[in-house]
Amino acid sequence: MRRFVLTRIVQSVVTLLVLSLMVFLLARATGDPLSLVLPLGATQEDYENARHYLGLDLPLSVQYVKFIANAVRGDFGISLRVRRPVVDLLWERFPNSLALAAVSMALSLALAFPLGVLAAVHRDRALDRAAKIVATLGQALPTFWLGIVLIEVVAGRLQWLPAGGTGDLSHYVMPAFTLAWFVLAGIMRLLRSSLLEVLDSDFVRTARAKGVPEAGVVWRHALRNALIPVVTFAGVYFAILVTTAIVVETVFAWPGMGRLAYEAITARDFPVIQAVVLVTALVVVVANFTVDLLYVYLDPRIRYG
Amino acid sequence: MKRHLSRAAWLLLLSLAVVTPVAAQPAGELTVALSSLSTETLDPVLGGHIGKFYLSLMFDYLVGVTPTGQLSRDGGIAWRWEASPDSTRWTFHLRKGVKFHNGDELTSEDVKFSITRAMGKRSTTGYAGTLRQLVKDIETPAPDRVVIVTKEPTVIIPSYLSRVLSTEGMILPKKYLESKGDDVLVRAPVGSGPYRFAEQVSGSHIKVEAVPAPHWRVGVPRFKTVTFKIVPEETTRIAMLRRGEADIVEVSRDRMREVQQAGFTIHVRKEDAHIDGWWIQPWDQTPLRDKRVREALNLALDRREIAATIFGGMAEPASVPFGLSWAFPDIKFKITPDLVYAFDPNRAKKLLADAGYGNGFTTDIYAFQLPGLSEGKTLAEAIAGYWQKIGVQARLVPVDYPAFRKAWFDRSAPGALGYYNVANRDWIGTYAIVEKYTHPSNKSASMRDPEIDAMVEAVLHQTDRERVNALIRNILVRLRTEHLGLPVVYLHTPYAASKKAAKWNPGTVMYELNLDELVSTKP
Amino acid sequence: MTGPMRRLPVGPALVIVLFVLVAIFADVLSPDDPYEQHLRARFTPPAWLAGGSWQHPLGTDRLGRDLLSRIIYGTRVSLAAGVVTVAVSALAGAGIGLLAGYHRGRVGGVLMRATDATLAFPIILLALVLAVTMGPRFLNVVIAIAVILWARYARVIYGEVVSLMERDFITMARAMGCSALRIIAVHLFPNTAHTLIVLVSLQIGYVIIVEAALSFLGAGIPPPTPAWGSMVAEGREFVTSAWWVSFFPGVAILLVVLAFNLFGDWLRDVLDPKLRQL
Repeated sequence: MRRFVLTRIVQSVVTLLVLSLMVFLLARATGDPLSLVLPLGATQEDYENARHYLGLDLPLSVQYVKFIANAVRGDFGISLRVRRPVVDLLWERFPNSLALAAVSMALSLALAFPLGVLAAVHRDRALDRAAKIVATLGQALPTFWLGIVLIEVVAGRLQWLPAGGTGDLSHYVMPAFTLAWFVLAGIMRLLRSSLLEVLDSDFVRTARAKGVPEAGVVWRHALRNALIPVVTFAGVYFAILVTTAIVVETVFAWPGMGRLAYEAITARDFPVIQAVVLVTALVVVVANFTVDLLYVYLDPRIRYG
Repeated sequence: MKRHLSRAAWLLLLSLAVVTPVAAQPAGELTVALSSLSTETLDPVLGGHIGKFYLSLMFDYLVGVTPTGQLSRDGGIAWRWEASPDSTRWTFHLRKGVKFHNGDELTSEDVKFSITRAMGKRSTTGYAGTLRQLVKDIETPAPDRVVIVTKEPTVIIPSYLSRVLSTEGMILPKKYLESKGDDVLVRAPVGSGPYRFAEQVSGSHIKVEAVPAPHWRVGVPRFKTVTFKIVPEETTRIAMLRRGEADIVEVSRDRMREVQQAGFTIHVRKEDAHIDGWWIQPWDQTPLRDKRVREALNLALDRREIAATIFGGMAEPASVPFGLSWAFPDIKFKITPDLVYAFDPNRAKKLLADAGYGNGFTTDIYAFQLPGLSEGKTLAEAIAGYWQKIGVQARLVPVDYPAFRKAWFDRSAPGALGYYNVANRDWIGTYAIVEKYTHPSNKSASMRDPEIDAMVEAVLHQTDRERVNALIRNILVRLRTEHLGLPVVYLHTPYAASKKAAKWNPGTVMYELNLDELVSTKP
Repeated sequence: MTGPMRRLPVGPALVIVLFVLVAIFADVLSPDDPYEQHLRARFTPPAWLAGGSWQHPLGTDRLGRDLLSRIIYGTRVSLAAGVVTVAVSALAGAGIGLLAGYHRGRVGGVLMRATDATLAFPIILLALVLAVTMGPRFLNVVIAIAVILWARYARVIYGEVVSLMERDFITMARAMGCSALRIIAVHLFPNTAHTLIVLVSLQIGYVIIVEAALSFLGAGIPPPTPAWGSMVAEGREFVTSAWWVSFFPGVAILLVVLAFNLFGDWLRDVLDPKLRQL
């Protein structure tokens, strides 16, 4: 087991290194940030000056090594656009992303449970189908469209909830709901199928044979066991939420990591692009790692070596 | 002496006027929600002029302006300025007793430091280059006097250091920067304006708070805080206005009426921007080298239809490349009927045939959105549609603006059309932008016309205002008669406001919103 | 007909068939030229509303183009984007997954690190960077989305192969000296095909949704090409003044994505009930 953990850590580091090189090169392929930093009438000399001040005149390999060496120490350089240390920007944004993802995840689970149980208990009947459709709708609607309609109706017309920005819990409701609905289908499906599997298993049959009422079987015995895979995948979904909230963040003026990355890409702000991708990737890698560990733990048939 | 006395009396009066409403304290907050705060940089010299509207609450300019862009002795640190007879020495007399937010007194040393820094190597301001070219020395004979010595006679110095143009004229605290380091402003900006920095969350907002004492520019600031929020999506901004989360929001021309019907005031910056199209250099190998082709492409556009439909009637047809109308009164220029482009596809086709392109040709149009021009892609598509009708096959190249800008500067797509909503501006601003688009040493040059180059060069060294005016008039006429661009429309920019800002004139200074009027309690 | 077959989701299947037919016969079905603009007639409402006419049954968009025709042609574009993207990524991903699962040593390690790195890359960001870099054209958008999706196939197929490799029939095949290619082609691939089919059916809808999100961010299939995603993205600015511009293409997306997802769901139940996390 220890050997497995060690190899996975090494592999994760390698993964992140591969990714850092990918993003380093990709960012530079998107174009020249200087034409945005400098005013229209800038001369060739102005360009060379700026390139020098921003450290963009060094050979690519030197820039990359510097980037990695500094990143390891938690220094991601200075944003070319805002001109503040990238780490400061991350500190401003990451907690917002994390908080939104956490609330969305909680909301999604809260919705997935009743739907999943309903679907499993009424397998292949109208309620099952209805639950599936409700859950799948969240994936079939473009999130930005759903968000905009929500804002127009709930904030603009009814004026019940804030339209955008961060703040107290009321600010979370609409963006979290939009995100939660998007991942709902996956979680609900997972819950339904694992519940079905458990309901079919020996110990549930035993419980039934012992005369435990059906509701008790579902809620007390089966659900507890069906939860395990859901919890396992919650990590993955959590990571998806953190990284793909970009559209929702834009619609709800939510200053999170996705928006930060988007701003950075449109401004060709290399240091920020690199930092955001690395940090979000770290979240995903850690989540995957945890899932793999749980896998081994749950399913002894799988051997890693 | 007599002059001084009267000034003292005037000051006394003014201070009395300020003293009376002292009982009134800054109260409440003003929230401005915009689609973008451009760079969000808090250092005037690193950010550039697009951030002027939020910076100018925190910083004072050397030379102030009226809401309509005339240089003003009331709005800047300099309350008087004069030139030597040969126009090479410009003396600015500074207001006394002005303090920075950290308590330091503002003196001529700060002015010298600020201008020098704006001309320095790290500076990315719009007009640092011109100042570098002109300024020989800055002298500080007294704490309240600055003399700017130029290499050659010129009349543009006060304008270039004023609030009409970029940020070079913003006065920064020398001691603060020297003790805390040159990078301190981006984290903790300190100026001398009526509001001081409170908080920034990148991608979210910039918040400033009223200074404790009455300020010479606005008296006791009306609002305790002013917050500039970034809200990219329009539906969100409008909902925020309706819920009272924002007081001033940027609205599109399409949804302006809907917001008005909901009971909000619409303030319009009339002819706020001029949409100019231009072709990426060098186009001597493309059909565009023929003047008739350029004219045909202009005649193919139905500008009235564009203004009435795409811009929902919030635009007027334009006809002179870089014909920035806020400059017209300054230089006594009028768009005469013969300068107006007719919508004449038949003549366009004939011109194309005469030029040997009877069967048309293919060309590229870059299609992108811009802050303040959410209709960008629609416009590009519409232009392609009009050109189609005279036989010119236009292919859309949908990218973001930075990608277009790269192609433009690298000259990698000769003959392709790009466009910009050029902020309207006064004569000096017009001159400055034309220089950027024409001067052969600039990456941004989009035309090559020696005659214009000669006139542009002549303006800098001309000290007679009438002759300067004549030169700029001639430049505009030449741009139009040679069809050196694709002027499209003048664009009005609407802002929707809550009751807090029901009375407000957003002014006619580029990249400004004249928030001074809203926060001012001066009679 | 066995149990699961009886439960064939008729509705979703019909929707899919219908839209495929629309895509094929777009030229015949479309009442108008989807590219022809009539600025004076922009935002004409649907026929049944005041101001509408049967000339434009679903109304017109911001350039006065016939919305119905654009949706009909958009079916072709959006379905093509979905199918091509998924096909490309399934082929690449399955190939890599099979190879990595078979050669679990160094080759597999390298391949799976690359897969993990791709999976760790924020999905939309990668597509955004690629679209910005290469310019948003149909093919580039397809490539950008495929570049992300292949990794999912690779990881799932890899997992399948890893557990298959432990099975007796593979061990025996290897013991009997079968070549690697033969084992992969004859034994491994057919045993993972059902997984592949399920994934493909589930992801066509996903691609259409991702394309819409990219359009919203300015990096989707660009105008004037009618693609549902970009039509909804453009129309969102007019949700209050001209709701139909984004509503009808939105409904088209909704129907198709829902149909593909429900259909894929059923396929999974039939073919591969174990594959539940996707």
